[in-house]
Amino acid sequence: MDTVLIDGLSYALPLLCIAIGGIYSERSGIINLALEGLLGAGAFVGALFVAFFGGLFAQHSSIPMYFAFLFAMIGGAVFAMLHGLLCVKFRANQVISCVVINILAIALTGFFTRQINSQVFNQPSDRINLGVSIRFDIPYLSDIPFIGAAFQRVYPFQIIIIAVVIFSWYLLYKTRFGMRIRACGDNPHAVDGAGISVAKTRFIAVMISGALAGLGGMSYAYSIAASFSPGIYMGAGFLAIAALIFGNWRIMPTVGACLLFGFARSGGQRLAHILELPVSFSDLIIMLPYVVTLLLLIFFSKSNRAPRALGEIYDKGKR
Amino acid sequence: MENIIEIKNITKCFPGIIANNNISLEIRRGEIYALLGENGAGKSTLMNLLFGLYEPDSGQIFLRGEPVNISSPAFASSLSIGMVHQHFRLVEEFTIAENIVLGTETIKRFLGILPYVDMKTVSKKISELSKSYGLDVDPDMKVSQASVSVRQRAEILKMLYREAEILIFDEPTAMLAPQEIDYLLQIMKNLREQGKTIILITHKLNEVKHIADRCGILNRGNLVGVYDVADTSVEKMAAYMVGRELEDEKPPSKHDFGEVILDVKNLSVSKQGTSCVNDVSFCVRAGEVFAVAGVDGNGQIELADAIFGLLEATGGSITLLGQDITNAATRERVETGMSYVPEDRHSVGLILDFLLQQNLALRRYYQKPFSKHGILNDSIFESFADGLIDKYDIRCGRGAVTVTRSMSGGNQQKAIVAREIEKDSKLMIFVQPTRGLDIGAIRAIHEHIMNVRAEGHAIFLISMELDEITVLADTIGVMYEGRINRIAPASELTTDEIGEYMMGVKT
Repeated sequence: MDTVLIDGLSYALPLLCIAIGGIYSERSGIINLALEGLLGAGAFVGALFVAFFGGLFAQHSSIPMYFAFLFAMIGGAVFAMLHGLLCVKFRANQVISCVVINILAIALTGFFTRQINSQVFNQPSDRINLGVSIRFDIPYLSDIPFIGAAFQRVYPFQIIIIAVVIFSWYLLYKTRFGMRIRACGDNPHAVDGAGISVAKTRFIAVMISGALAGLGGMSYAYSIAASFSPGIYMGAGFLAIAALIFGNWRIMPTVGACLLFGFARSGGQRLAHILELPVSFSDLIIMLPYVVTLLLLIFFSKSNRAPRALGEIYDKGKR
Repeated sequence: MENIIEIKNITKCFPGIIANNNISLEIRRGEIYALLGENGAGKSTLMNLLFGLYEPDSGQIFLRGEPVNISSPAFASSLSIGMVHQHFRLVEEFTIAENIVLGTETIKRFLGILPYVDMKTVSKKISELSKSYGLDVDPDMKVSQASVSVRQRAEILKMLYREAEILIFDEPTAMLAPQEIDYLLQIMKNLREQGKTIILITHKLNEVKHIADRCGILNRGNLVGVYDVADTSVEKMAAYMVGRELEDEKPPSKHDFGEVILDVKNLSVSKQGTSCVNDVSFCVRAGEVFAVAGVDGNGQIELADAIFGLLEATGGSITLLGQDITNAATRERVETGMSYVPEDRHSVGLILDFLLQQNLALRRYYQKPFSKHGILNDSIFESFADGLIDKYDIRCGRGAVTVTRSMSGGNQQKAIVAREIEKDSKLMIFVQPTRGLDIGAIRAIHEHIMNVRAEGHAIFLISMELDEITVLADTIGVMYEGRINRIAPASELTTDEIGEYMMGVKT
């Protein structure tokens, strides 16, 4: 039971971080199906930092990891600028822009990982090894019976992500900038009429989206994957989209959706372990959150309300 | 009184159309100035120039004596010009107060560091503002729950909050019920008393007569003249606006009706689980205009939708030309002989991003000669459309290949009417055929309806305008809470009596 809780949380929180990233973009009115590509591009940039500069630090130091998170956010944000540029500046079809970014991220990061490994480090490989982050128990809280497991063997990034979520809630619902993001996704004409630049607001929202996706991707690289490799593209970006849609583009329900998916996954794995299923069945287990999504969407899609201007190319003259 | 705005020799062209042709006019401080004109006369364009949404091709605007180049709505707002657009610019998921402060938010700091938008103080300020101008608005109400009239008042408050002195209203009464219109006009008077200058874009002459001080009349992009409202009769204004004298409309002459075309028996309809039409029976005969009167929301729209097949009948039967069509598909109904001018021209009547010629052929595109073996023949579309544009006086920038979205509302409606009448169906359904249109267009559509009636078509008309019903109907059915409580020849019902049935006083 404890493992279900621990593994579930360590999978769910990065997923939540990516989903919150998606919320920024989509609440501003820009479709973001590119989270998968953005999380990979971000994690790649973070891993690159470790590959080049990790040696400068003491052997078991955690400092390179924190730098990696920072660089992953920068990398994600920069890569997301491409999406922003295509959708906001050039008014491209947003879905197509997302598809392009996903394909581009997978191809570019794979290509550069191989090239850098063989050219710089002289060892042909498609992965950059990072190892697994340290984990720790939160004092006192981890001693609580039953739910205490939620505070055991915690990754540092889990704490960072919880802070990001709380800050995002504050930013989106309490600040001027958050109000403008939400207004852009509902009625950009109102924003324009109020003398605020729709393009600028949306562009920044998309960049934040990329930064948070990068942070989420880097978290997976430091936990489940223990490396950066094309294996990072395991569908978390798409699951995050499902979570935010299921969460009605709102932060609190999205938290719930991500936790549900996380526990569906860890519970499934536990089940496979208890039933002593062969390893080849684990693919079926990984599928579990998606099946849950599918079932939930069937029942809850009626009450779903997307931001009204989502995907609409903003054009002043349109009646 | 001094001039607050002077517009000098303004010209603005759009592809294929001169929206404003060398227009010059002055607006005085503290007056209500009405800008009158038919749909597409260029009123909205002129005001959008003043509000910074467009820039003029030539000419100059002077504000308080100074030449200004109004490059954006934000700049216009800093010059204390505000505008209530026909389509409101409100964020639906925000409260009214949040909408009002958007762009000019007051920031407070939580614990001296974390900034947040202070809604409490703002909400109080808006409440006071709303009271002082006689606007009844709850600032904490969500826009998505507000009625059209409340939304409009929210837009007015938005301008007042920004301390606008010049308030532009673009067709503010088009979407309002009669009592709401009176209320709005009263608000405008209050605003004038407090020294605001109001520009009212409209084509409703009664409103102009009622509150405006002066009016400028536009016709096809040209300024016809500026008149003092007090000395100009409504008839004169109408004539200037349309460019010719209008004759009084004549009620339909009596004649005998032919065979029964549409027979509705005990029809019941529900929408989203609630029953809207209850056990309704009536028939429409050839050469008859059967009109349903009623206050909006009493099931008329659903009744029409059910007859046309957009809603499913939950009980009863519909017979068209002797054929039971209760469960028939819409296309089957159309081919049996039914035309339909829907209430909502944007979502049901037209495909806005299609060309006019495609929209005009929506009922026939799959038939010869429009398509052969599934391949469309563009030149047939075009020549067909050209014919209708000519016959129905549809004004559009690029003729048959105009994108429908770019046309004015009145011309979009003319296009739908043209398409549906040209289908030559035995039964023609008109739902609110003239809503939001100007006198010229209304008369034209009424004339078309009278013509098809004379040709022996059966007409089923639904209108919320009692005037329209008394002018057109042979037989009137009055609907209240999903039932038709009274059906009688138009000559046997007085307006008062219809009103009593409409309000449910008599059943």
